[in-house]
Amino acid sequence: MVEKETKTDKSDFLQLVREAIGRKTPLLYAPDYPPLKSNYTRQQEKVRTITAKNLARKSKILDQLIENASFAGWNVHRVSDHESAAEKIGEIAASVKAKLAVRTTETILKSVNVDGALRSKKVTPVVLASGRYRSKSDLKEVAFKADLGISGVSFAIAETASCVLIPRKGVARLTSLAPPVFVAIVQADQVLENLDDYFAMVRLQFQKTRGRYPNYTNFVSGPSRTADIEQTLTIGVHGPGIVHMVLVG
Amino acid sequence: MAEVKTAKFKKASSQAVSDPKLQNTLEHVMGHFIEARAGAIEEFGDESWDQMRERASSIKKHALENLDYYLDLIDRTIQKNGGHVHFAKDTQEANRIVLDIAKKAEAKRVIKSKSMVSEEMGLNKALEKAGIEPVETDLGEYIIQLADEPPFHIIAPAMHKTKQEVSELFQDWLRTAPTQDIKQLCIIARDALREKFSTADIGVSGANFVVAETGTVVLVTNEGNGRMTTSTPKIHIAVSGIEKVLPAIEDVGLFLRLLPRSATGQRITSYNTFVSGPKFSTDEDGPEEFHLIMVDNGRLNLMRDPEFREALKCIRCGACLNTCPIYRKVGGHSYGWVYPGPIGAVITPVLTNIKQSKDLPYASTLCGACRDVCPVKIDIPKLLLKLRHMAVEGDSSQRSVSWIERLMIGQWRKTVSTRSSIERATNLARFLQVVVTKKGIIRNLPLPLISGWTKSRDFPALAPKSFAQLWQEKFSEETDG
Repeated sequence: MVEKETKTDKSDFLQLVREAIGRKTPLLYAPDYPPLKSNYTRQQEKVRTITAKNLARKSKILDQLIENASFAGWNVHRVSDHESAAEKIGEIAASVKAKLAVRTTETILKSVNVDGALRSKKVTPVVLASGRYRSKSDLKEVAFKADLGISGVSFAIAETASCVLIPRKGVARLTSLAPPVFVAIVQADQVLENLDDYFAMVRLQFQKTRGRYPNYTNFVSGPSRTADIEQTLTIGVHGPGIVHMVLVG
Repeated sequence: MAEVKTAKFKKASSQAVSDPKLQNTLEHVMGHFIEARAGAIEEFGDESWDQMRERASSIKKHALENLDYYLDLIDRTIQKNGGHVHFAKDTQEANRIVLDIAKKAEAKRVIKSKSMVSEEMGLNKALEKAGIEPVETDLGEYIIQLADEPPFHIIAPAMHKTKQEVSELFQDWLRTAPTQDIKQLCIIARDALREKFSTADIGVSGANFVVAETGTVVLVTNEGNGRMTTSTPKIHIAVSGIEKVLPAIEDVGLFLRLLPRSATGQRITSYNTFVSGPKFSTDEDGPEEFHLIMVDNGRLNLMRDPEFREALKCIRCGACLNTCPIYRKVGGHSYGWVYPGPIGAVITPVLTNIKQSKDLPYASTLCGACRDVCPVKIDIPKLLLKLRHMAVEGDSSQRSVSWIERLMIGQWRKTVSTRSSIERATNLARFLQVVVTKKGIIRNLPLPLISGWTKSRDFPALAPKSFAQLWQEKFSEETDG
């Protein structure tokens, strides 16, 4: 019923907008706006240039990420291989006296043996996935009970110290949100220099997968924080107050 | 719509100015905001920061001039993404859309992350009336919901509350023990709201930007409640003003650089959430239904006027509030509606009632600080002057200046337009002022309109001789000698 009302209202509504702008009829063509103009091939070219640039500046960009992430409140751990990444995560879990950890199932978590490292510290690892629970509320319950969340990332952005998290099968939204401590595993080749690099890639992805483009994305750029009481910075409100970035490579 | 109390500006602001505790808080907090912003934009240098503002301003201009096209694109794209877009002419219609969705879902509890448009709508009251429990989850909004107050500031809604007051609110509502520890107060709120997050049926969020190209609602948050609101309930409803549109996904980077720096002085906020539709069936969690409500509520009145249209560029960062010498004295509640400060003084009259809000355009020294900090370069003083002009010269729906004031100003104009009439008038005044002058000062002028002015100020009496007279005398002495 709501749906029907929307449909009837829309053209009237747009006509009102049009008249307020000072136009009587709809535009015949898309407005001339360069960021909307470039087609798939040109966007592909743009992204190729970005990738080449980021490859050439790789070590500088990684340094920038580490510096900005530390400034933004991330605990950054740079490790050279998967074994030391797992070991680091075990240490982090032990340091916060975690009992229950939830994790995702990205490819990187197949290479980094997080479960083993956690178990050796007497932490129970659980994959936060709906199939394993009878209903959605069970998934929430486990997520809210967990002491630690561990996840890979889709990208990291050096400029803003952001981890880009895109939920999908095996990657629950609550993994990186509900537990008080969050560990992001970032691979060196996932790091982009700046926001513009990222959005250029998103656009290419959107052009490529029209209709099945991810409907939900989050940047996590530090610990959950608030200054709503007396402008005093306090970390850890609704999201994790302690965040670790394990940078591999 | 949320109650409009703009007619009480004078009374509310004089109360605020004479409240020492509030004055203390304002001084402390506002200074903090200004320093943080200055620190955050330093890395760019003045010139490139200015170029960024210029670019943002022209992007918004383009989006507004083609808004019908982009709104249509948003609708089509979000539908393709599996979501629903609704258009609401006013707050009543917007509330009805939310209530219809809630009724269909048999919702009992709605969690909300910060949304100024939902404040315009008075959504919480509308939900309560329908027997649905609304819960604000942004810490500041939660505090003012418990206190039953409107937001004090666009981005820091509870900045006027001390930790003592917050503790008392929590004691009353949550039966918790008193504490002065802010961290502890945050934990209390976190625990209380966790329960709400796990049981709510619907999450309502605002929208900092709505990207037409990809049909994406962008949320800029710090606490994580925005992520919770868009993750735990089975339905997500985003409400947005129609002006929040950005044409392209590649426009977002620029605005994510401008907004947090101008608002809290952060390089970026802890979280940015991008929602383009409901969860995919294969996703582990997330809302199965996504609705976006695009609300007009008077915005087209701003759109219709090429000058006022500029105010629709506003991205609600709050920088103009922080820098405004008037806001920093009178605080957020004096302005009487949802949006305080310089930008509030511009848009509130047009969105609500120009005549009732007649004092707002005068709540400014026209110093221009608001224009200088605005990330989208809105010329706020120019728009305030336009409103003042309408108060005098506008049609009957706009004019708020009384006939007696118009008569007096008209008389004044006649008097000061020739030298001889100025001299005649000052001579007359010099003769009459004897009655009210004490020691060269007029403490009270018993005349209509002016008596209000002298209530809190002294008026220096006219000197016995005018400058011109003295000059003439001096000149004639010299020639005599």
